[in-house]
Amino acid sequence: MRLEKLKELHDKKFITDEQFAELDQIISKKVFSVFYELRTLLYLGVLLFTTGVGIFIYLNIGDLGHVVSIIVLSILTLACFYYSFKNSGPYTHGKLVPATPYLDYIVLLGCLLFISVLGYLQFQYNVLDESLGETTLVAAVIFFITAYRFDHLGALSLAITAFASFWGLSVSPQEWYHNDFFASANLHVTALFFGAGLAGATLVLFQRGIKQHFAFTYFNFCSLIFLVGALVGLFTNHDSRGLYFMLLFTGCALTAYAGYWLKSFLFLLYAFVFGYIGITYFLSDFLSYDGSILFLYFIISCGGFVFFIIQYKSYFKREP
Amino acid sequence: MKCAYNETWLSNLQLLKETKEWQKNKIISPEQQASITAAYPVAFFHPNLIIRILLFLASLIALSGVTGLLSLFVLSIANGTEQIISALCILYGIAAFFFLEAIFIRTARHYKSGVTEALVYHAVGFTLAGIAGITSGNTHVIVISCLALFSFTAFRYLDLVSTSAAILSLAFLIFYELFEQGGILRQIIPMVFIALFTPLYFFLKLQKEKRENERWHHCIMLAEALTLLIIYAAGNYLVVRELSVNLMDMQIIEGQNIPYAFLFYFLTVTIPVAYIYFGIKNKDIVLIRVSLVAIGFSVFTFKYYYSLGHPEITLTLAGAILILVTIQLLRYLKTPKRGYTRENILSSKWGSANLEALVVSQTMGGNHSAGASEHGGGGSSAGGGSSESF
Repeated sequence: MRLEKLKELHDKKFITDEQFAELDQIISKKVFSVFYELRTLLYLGVLLFTTGVGIFIYLNIGDLGHVVSIIVLSILTLACFYYSFKNSGPYTHGKLVPATPYLDYIVLLGCLLFISVLGYLQFQYNVLDESLGETTLVAAVIFFITAYRFDHLGALSLAITAFASFWGLSVSPQEWYHNDFFASANLHVTALFFGAGLAGATLVLFQRGIKQHFAFTYFNFCSLIFLVGALVGLFTNHDSRGLYFMLLFTGCALTAYAGYWLKSFLFLLYAFVFGYIGITYFLSDFLSYDGSILFLYFIISCGGFVFFIIQYKSYFKREP
Repeated sequence: MKCAYNETWLSNLQLLKETKEWQKNKIISPEQQASITAAYPVAFFHPNLIIRILLFLASLIALSGVTGLLSLFVLSIANGTEQIISALCILYGIAAFFFLEAIFIRTARHYKSGVTEALVYHAVGFTLAGIAGITSGNTHVIVISCLALFSFTAFRYLDLVSTSAAILSLAFLIFYELFEQGGILRQIIPMVFIALFTPLYFFLKLQKEKRENERWHHCIMLAEALTLLIIYAAGNYLVVRELSVNLMDMQIIEGQNIPYAFLFYFLTVTIPVAYIYFGIKNKDIVLIRVSLVAIGFSVFTFKYYYSLGHPEITLTLAGAILILVTIQLLRYLKTPKRGYTRENILSSKWGSANLEALVVSQTMGGNHSAGASEHGGGGSSAGGGSSESF
């Protein structure tokens, strides 16, 4: 925004004198925010520190210093959580306004350090069971508690990811790229149940008014896990593909509805992409006879979709 | 040549986007926003980001269908030479430009709707492929056409991807021409880059200030940032050394170094420092952000050649320093200093009670503080806020 524009708004009496004075400060850079820069730096600091600590522990497991390092890390973790509890407001079902701009990052640092300590103890002393399963479950529980106590969306994403990996589901594109999602037999069934179950739990929490602003993050994971599961089922089980096709489309419809409900077009995007892949795969037998039919299908389906969105653009306004 | 969109609507749209931010932050009331919206009409079809992505993907698939059908048709009648097919590609690309302008921009009033981006890239892609085919892959011609076409689309359709592509084509063109000449010209590539891109940066900065260039504001900002990064990379010791070794087959024997090594070490240190100094002094957000990336990469450069062999300790220490310095800065800026604030002035996440105090302190001129503190560590700044407002 240029100053002339602001003066024009002021001259035409769209804004009051006080508003003009306030906005003039911002536009003429007499007030200059480094909010995003400092937050990004803080986030990078947490990322570098925890990565460094993780590698350090991994390289020095079993060394003489391991008792010292675990004590230092535990003290750091406790310090982070002590600071968070001391400075955070009491728990509410609604949103919690952070007391300081860096409180969120202290909570995050505490969580990640705790996981390092837990992993260290597991490797060194086998505190928990032989399997890694219980460690991820404990991590998930801690993350969930942190997320709800400090109203922390980052911790919530970590919690859902850890909880999914407890069931053997890897929720990261890198893992999918290495075919881990597809490799294990019947993992897609787990994914379907996990996605549906988590979505149900989210609905119950929402109904009770507990942290309603968490619903977006929950549904984001639910819909992706469920839809990928249904799509993998469709690709791998030729015999029961009718069933998976129906599951995929139920999932797409519910995802699109969640988008309408949460006022987010992101879910509409998921529904479209997965639905389109599903339909194209289902029709592939008919489409593969002749190249020109395939091209016509692309033109008609996607061209029609573009036309549909433009025709009904009032439903897709910038602010849903 | 002008930009393709209706200029009044563009300027109104830019205005409304900002007043909407003010309304979200409760600087102005919804009624005020409504009356401003009524007074500054915009008739564009300009959907939100997700719908744009959706339309972009769907348009690309539909366009691939069109291309596929046409190619089947062309291949069946003209079992002909590569030249004819290339010429048809160019014709098809140009036709796509006209289709975009006549149907989507002029009639359906699209502005960055996803469909427009898909058509622009589609048109550029086919035109370039056709040129490459006709000249049988002449790099000089292809790079020059890249530069020309991307500059055209960046200018006419205010497209950010085209802007980056145009700047990178320019950089590659300079590099390639000097590299092909060989001899002494290869040695002075870094100096030529700095000598050419520094004036370009100041030229862009001048253009950004002009009122009539307001609609290209985002394009120019992006071009500025890329220009600064290119100047930094041209003076960076690691970039120069590795490019010398890998592309120019320079042999560096143990104990020897690249020519003018001291100069590049000097630039590796001074360029980021200069960026952050002038960024903080002039409150230039582009300079500040680029300087953070540059500082991070300079630290990496020195660690790369003078490593103690313990990357994990380096990481941990760097992280700890970064956290401590940033928290100190945040505490320092708890009350605004010299016009700097830690609050996000156009978002209400931490309430805007402090903003009022800030405005008061600024208008009363009552701030006594030491100079802006120095930053440490480095890193990119892609805007770390987590917003799920789409």
